[in-house]
Amino acid sequence: MEQTESPSDVAAPTMMRSLEMWFLEKENAALTWGFWKPIVWAIVSIALSLLVSAVIMILSGYDPILAYTWLLYGILRQPDYVLYFATPLILTGLSVALAFKCGLFNIGAEGQVYLGSMAAAIIGYAIALPIFVHPLVCLAVGAGAGALWGFVPGLLKAYRGAHEVVTTMMLSYTAILFTQWLSTYPLREPGQVQMVPQLPQILSSAMIPKILGSHYLHLGIVLAIASVFVVDFIIKRTVLGYEMRAVGLNRDAAECAGIDPRRNMAIALGLSGALAGLAGSEEILGTYGRFIDHWSPSIGFDGITVAVLGRNHPWGCLLAAVFFGALRAGGTFMNLVARVPIEMVGVIQGLIVLFVAAPRINDWLAKNGVGYPIWIKNNPKVALPNFAALCLAAWSAVLAFGFCAVKGISTTLYVLFLVTAFLGIVAFVTTLSRRGHVLVLNSAIVALWLAIGVLDRLQFGGGTFITSVMVACVGLVISASLAWFSRRETKERRSKS
Amino acid sequence: MMQSGNVTLDLLGWLITATLQWSTPLVLAALGGMFSERSGVVNIGLEGMMLIGAFSAAAVSGLTGSAWLGLLAGIGAGGLLAAVHALVCVTFKGNQIVSGAGVILFASGFTTVMLKVVWNQQGVGNQVPTIPDVVIQPILNIPVLGTAFGRVSPIIYIMFFTVALSYYVLYHTPFGLRVRSSGEDPSALDSAGVNVDHIRFIAVVISGCLSGLAGAYLSISFLNAFGKLMTSGRGFIALAALIFGNWTPIGCLLAGTFFGFLNGLQNTIQILNIPGVALYLNFVQMLPYVLVVVALAGIRRSVPPKAVGTAYEKEAKG
Repeated sequence: MEQTESPSDVAAPTMMRSLEMWFLEKENAALTWGFWKPIVWAIVSIALSLLVSAVIMILSGYDPILAYTWLLYGILRQPDYVLYFATPLILTGLSVALAFKCGLFNIGAEGQVYLGSMAAAIIGYAIALPIFVHPLVCLAVGAGAGALWGFVPGLLKAYRGAHEVVTTMMLSYTAILFTQWLSTYPLREPGQVQMVPQLPQILSSAMIPKILGSHYLHLGIVLAIASVFVVDFIIKRTVLGYEMRAVGLNRDAAECAGIDPRRNMAIALGLSGALAGLAGSEEILGTYGRFIDHWSPSIGFDGITVAVLGRNHPWGCLLAAVFFGALRAGGTFMNLVARVPIEMVGVIQGLIVLFVAAPRINDWLAKNGVGYPIWIKNNPKVALPNFAALCLAAWSAVLAFGFCAVKGISTTLYVLFLVTAFLGIVAFVTTLSRRGHVLVLNSAIVALWLAIGVLDRLQFGGGTFITSVMVACVGLVISASLAWFSRRETKERRSKS
Repeated sequence: MMQSGNVTLDLLGWLITATLQWSTPLVLAALGGMFSERSGVVNIGLEGMMLIGAFSAAAVSGLTGSAWLGLLAGIGAGGLLAAVHALVCVTFKGNQIVSGAGVILFASGFTTVMLKVVWNQQGVGNQVPTIPDVVIQPILNIPVLGTAFGRVSPIIYIMFFTVALSYYVLYHTPFGLRVRSSGEDPSALDSAGVNVDHIRFIAVVISGCLSGLAGAYLSISFLNAFGKLMTSGRGFIALAALIFGNWTPIGCLLAGTFFGFLNGLQNTIQILNIPGVALYLNFVQMLPYVLVVVALAGIRRSVPPKAVGTAYEKEAKG
């Protein structure tokens, strides 16, 4: 893996060779399933989570089609807004991903963001420097402060065995409280009247300029993309990166190979903190213009999400950050026009992370999606009632969710429909995976629909009576045929033995 | 400032009450985390399960008018979200920390959206019926005892009962033995003919139920409404209490009570409004966090269950 340093006279051809090798490597990688699988899975998880979010929207009385249309419109209308949201996420995502590469989980990037932004804001207003130097100094100091706050848990993990998930989290709270104290008492802007404590405005020489004539997007995006290059280079092409990856893969094996895991762990968390601090500083210098107590819209915590979706790969982080930035940017439009709360974006993000966490759902889908039709083809007599049950489960789930969305139905019916819908989903999944219990679940669905129909007829107008009873009758026939086939099967088995 | 002996005594009682109020959700959630982690599944999603428990309890309590039904709903909702976590990490052998992060993200988004849907509010929902406090008449007028224990939420009693029950279940029942061995050496449990995945699934759902109870305490007993992100990091502090308490029921109780005490102390200082101290209130707030870090780094090494964090695969390679 490692490129040894070559003498200067042969440096140029070697570099060409290594570039060639690099392209060849990429070309070969692009052809294998191992390269495409995570990408396919990311797309499948996004699609699944959009589907589940649509169900949640229907249940809470919003129109998902309208919402998604405006979400997309918002993204396409303002690409600069997308990148503006993506900028800090790229950096915090890289921060979490870099620590992950060394087998460490930096859950407290938020605190490093705060400390970095505080340091940058102080340098920004307290010291006068020339125009190009000032932001650079601010960024460097901010990154340094973040690095310090990452280095402490790194050292504790390496030399005292303190679990980094707990220490980074706890230090994160400490940092937020500390910056709150700084901005409330010693450094508060004199004569400030707002409720939320804040520091004085940074000097105009420290501001990061906006680019491309945008109201939001600033040069920080260039810094973020450059960081992707740098982190990619560090991880893949340097001794440090190689050692960090080795420690992350297997600490004991790395130690046997002569790599000091302690040093690498501490450095990895320090670098991770530096990236988080950088994210905080560029937000202060480019967007906010001053430190405000609790300014961060949880960019540190979102970094975890970005790293997870980006599979801890620097370029993956870039794509994931742009995707989440797009969700945020489109979310504001969705909120304005379709009146769906902006937090729906958080729901979508959470679902994506849940799906990404379990890649085997993908395998399961692939296996049963292909295996089920083959099974039907091979033994149609047993499979057909099973297939009918599958269709009924899907149909009753969709139908029940549809009834839930109807305005003004009574709470009792709403709960019944909800239970039916969820039972329908469970029945669909179990039937598809041929787990058994199909008959029980099918009968339960039939009973629920009958109950809904009767209750509706007796108590409330009876608007769904005919539909419910119809579904129940179809289900009854399927249940009967299922029972008959399973009995015949057991009889056959007995007679054989 | 007038300081009679009676006021000081009442202050002590008040401190005990505040400690109990702050520590109850922490202890309950930490116990939940204990069941999950002792069975070998990391659960950083306690925060999310508490949130969804708090929301469901308030919503059902408001809709039905019965706070006890709300309590059940809170427990159920926490368990349901935990079942999703279990599905991802136990059934589909996914990454447990990633799944936990997903649970938190989902719960914070979902409860805030539902706050808008149910009560049409942005920050705090409407007032809902709460669980009535248990009032012990005879001691109500005794200075310290009466202030501290005269009027206490029944969930605080439930919390103490849950600690005792968890201790009994974990160390004196076959199920507890299975939970513990599933976290220490799942292959041994498997070779004894027990389904590791079932045990883990049940343990994770228990953890969600307890976290849901902790959340329900916040929304329908401690306060009387659901507020946006009202757990405010208590799930993470519970996680720290769990590690501080070395993954044991009694340890969880002690660590949770300790953190609760620090919070109660800070509240008391806030109310007393001593001029010099108020300035440094943030540092009092920092105390529990710093103490955890110091404790983890210096005093004692905590020993997590051996197999925690890894999915169990039958006949895994290596």
